[in-house]
Amino acid sequence: MICDRHVRYLKAVWIGTIILLLYIPIVSVVLVSLANTRYMRFPHRVWSVDAYREAVDSFTTWSIHLVSLKMALCVVVMAVVLGTLGAMAFARYDWRGRSVFQRLIVLPIFFPQPVLGLALLLSFSAMGITPGWKTAVIAHAVWIVPIVTLVISIRLFGYDVAQEEAAFDLGASRWQVAREVTLPALWPGIFSGALFAFLLSWSNLPLSIFTSGADTPLPVWLFSRTATNYSPLVPAVAVIGTVISALLVVVLLVLRRIFRRA
Amino acid sequence: MATVTPEGGTAVPALSLQEITRRFGALTAVDAVTLDIAEGEFFTIVGPSGSGKSTLVRLLAGLEVPTAGTLLLRGEDITRQPANQRPTAMVFQSLALFDHRSVGQNIEFAMKMKGVAPQARRERVLELLSLLRLPEDYYDRAVTQCSGGERQRVAMARALASDPEILFFDEPLSALDYRLRKTLEVELKELHQRTGKTFIYITHSLEEAMVMSDRIAIMQEGRFVQVGTPQDIYQRPRNRFVAGFMGEVNILAIRGRGESAKFAGLGLPAPEVAGAYAVLRPEALQAGDGGRVRFDADVVQRLMLGSRTQYHLRVGDLGLIAEIGAGVGNLMEPGQRARFSFDPDDIAWVAE
Amino acid sequence: MSVRPGPWLAAPTALFLLAFFAMPLLIVSWYSLMPPRTFSMLGTPTLANYGAAFSDGYEKPLLWSMLGATLTTLICAVLAWPTAKILHAHAGRAASIITALIALPIFISESVRLFGLSMFLMPRGGILAGSLNAWFDIQIGSILNTRLAALLGMIYVYFPFMLFPLLLGVSLIPEDRLEAARDLGAGRWALFREIELPLAAPGLMIGALLTFVLCLGANAEAAILGGRAVTVISAAIEQRFSYAQDWPMGAALTVLVILVTAAVVWPVLRRVDLNRIIQR
Repeated sequence: MICDRHVRYLKAVWIGTIILLLYIPIVSVVLVSLANTRYMRFPHRVWSVDAYREAVDSFTTWSIHLVSLKMALCVVVMAVVLGTLGAMAFARYDWRGRSVFQRLIVLPIFFPQPVLGLALLLSFSAMGITPGWKTAVIAHAVWIVPIVTLVISIRLFGYDVAQEEAAFDLGASRWQVAREVTLPALWPGIFSGALFAFLLSWSNLPLSIFTSGADTPLPVWLFSRTATNYSPLVPAVAVIGTVISALLVVVLLVLRRIFRRA
Repeated sequence: MATVTPEGGTAVPALSLQEITRRFGALTAVDAVTLDIAEGEFFTIVGPSGSGKSTLVRLLAGLEVPTAGTLLLRGEDITRQPANQRPTAMVFQSLALFDHRSVGQNIEFAMKMKGVAPQARRERVLELLSLLRLPEDYYDRAVTQCSGGERQRVAMARALASDPEILFFDEPLSALDYRLRKTLEVELKELHQRTGKTFIYITHSLEEAMVMSDRIAIMQEGRFVQVGTPQDIYQRPRNRFVAGFMGEVNILAIRGRGESAKFAGLGLPAPEVAGAYAVLRPEALQAGDGGRVRFDADVVQRLMLGSRTQYHLRVGDLGLIAEIGAGVGNLMEPGQRARFSFDPDDIAWVAE
Repeated sequence: MSVRPGPWLAAPTALFLLAFFAMPLLIVSWYSLMPPRTFSMLGTPTLANYGAAFSDGYEKPLLWSMLGATLTTLICAVLAWPTAKILHAHAGRAASIITALIALPIFISESVRLFGLSMFLMPRGGILAGSLNAWFDIQIGSILNTRLAALLGMIYVYFPFMLFPLLLGVSLIPEDRLEAARDLGAGRWALFREIELPLAAPGLMIGALLTFVLCLGANAEAAILGGRAVTVISAAIEQRFSYAQDWPMGAALTVLVILVTAAVVWPVLRRVDLNRIIQR
């Protein structure tokens, strides 16, 4: 007889296994980074953090981080601006072309990214534009702007439009209504959207690979060095890059909490 | 345009509607409404959904522009003036409180828009909190943490804080439970008396309107069917539609005129120019021989309504509803045949 | 609020997507009709590339990608369903933390995660092989550079994309329906078939759609974990663009992938009403 306690236990085991399996590769990267040998051999004979020291010293490390950062910041700006406007059109106002617009917005999400990257590569090349970090930004935006639009739109469902009318009735100008009522309601979505946009751009591989040309953001560097020309720097840089993006997010969340109190 | 005020004077009306019309394509939501509302009046517009009452109030508040007609505020033309410039304030059906703000921030909003200094704003907010019977420490409380009744009061305080000439209320009590509604109806009446401002209120419930209003307008399909005091509307409804707002009421089609008007085989003294229908309220029917028109009826159903007992009666092929105070006379059983009566003066004659 | 702001607010985003999503797809479609191995857009249209796609054996990578995507979707669905049910049933503090833990890897780069997976699975010196050897003296072979490894990689990377829409779908099953069905005598399997599945269908369809489409174009998993054992369609397209310098052919293959994507996406998106799901 399977009793309730057994079922609970099985459920916990299942969830635990899923989480374990999800994190094994990530933990593996950290483990691999803790040696400084050219060939991979686990368990390591010598455990060291030398790979990190070398990575930090290397100029390449920081130049690729900079490329990723440049790209991510541009993507965030585009995503927030286009996403906020798009969300207002998506969810706040009723207008004739709205359902067509909604479908258009959602399409790039349900699309194989490498194919999108390749299509953009072809188009840019056909128009004589050399691929570089700017074209990669555009590629990221095509995928990320719709996601951010949806994230911000969610704040608008269940939003009482009468609040804006009430503010207007009480003497606010249209601009004041937007500033005092609409934007504060959207703000949590905009903040989450910005974080999403940053993280998704920072970590993106399939779009960057084909559209970044000579510029090399972090994931592309990792990918190319995994296949060939492996060095112990690779896992160390991978960990550094991931930690930096995590830190940025944590800092922003903390700052937001501080501002909320004020 | 004669100004009909309760006192019968000829002061400048607070609000004067002249042929106000609002069309949406082929649909006419508000059809050439003409009316004067006196200073300090509590005026209620009653109508079913789709009657146009919400649209009318929005036109008066400035949230929509009339297709035709003129609107005068104390003689001044405000027809095209947008809501944020009108000296009016509205309490919305959903209350439309700023959920992300505190009680104090909600109430002071209009003052903030005008540029009033923080200290002056704070004083006024505290005044209003006390007027609306909200605790002083609610100033910083989040509106999302307030109960339904408290949110109502915050919405009212917010509207009052803008010091409006006229206050509009768009069915603010319809979402509340019975008890809360009854309490707030009385409080609204008191608020009106204390502030002395002109209140324009809309609701679908005549009962609610009668508790609070100086005058009532019944609205149907964009037009005012009847305008009058609560007593007028209740005792002398203009037609069956208005009579129907009173809840269950007996409406009898009458054949003949004068002494020959027939009712259940009895002669009914009706005025010569009587209408085609007699409206008889259930509470006008009495058990026994007390009234001048007497008849026997079969009791089909008995419903206990607490303070009253409702009887569904059958007289010939006519169905009637009578309501008798609990504790008056004996309870009658379904299947019983008993004597009932009423006074002809209790009948309201309507033409249509 | 008299002027209609909807279209004006939609314009910037709509124009951006038309320019950088719709336009490139059109350009690619046009290129696919150009004569093979040319670079200009002014040639005479021809269907030669499509013919060559099938005669030169390019249907193999396409079919492998489709098969891989289907398998990944099915396996992810089977894995995600109980996970979603458990998380929904025991919603609370613990469930939120667990959901966050499962979501976290999405934000860690594919390249990092796949690198880790390849290091884990590497024979002899890899994490798994090395540990088993050192501590239990077990030797295992390599599954790297096989189709299976690529499939495992795809399941690993795309599992969260199946899980989250499914979580949303499962949360839309009202508890009272299940109770009513049980009350009326439904057994476990009937409950699943008649109540749970139909009600969670929107979430399931979106999750499956997302997973399938994303896997269809998947590139990195095959490259890192599959090595030479498997060529996915994205890799084949990329080869046509770079190595073989045959833009029109690559474009034709791209169009084929787009057509498969459209064939799957269009019917589902038409039936599922986004507004209803997000609004609940």
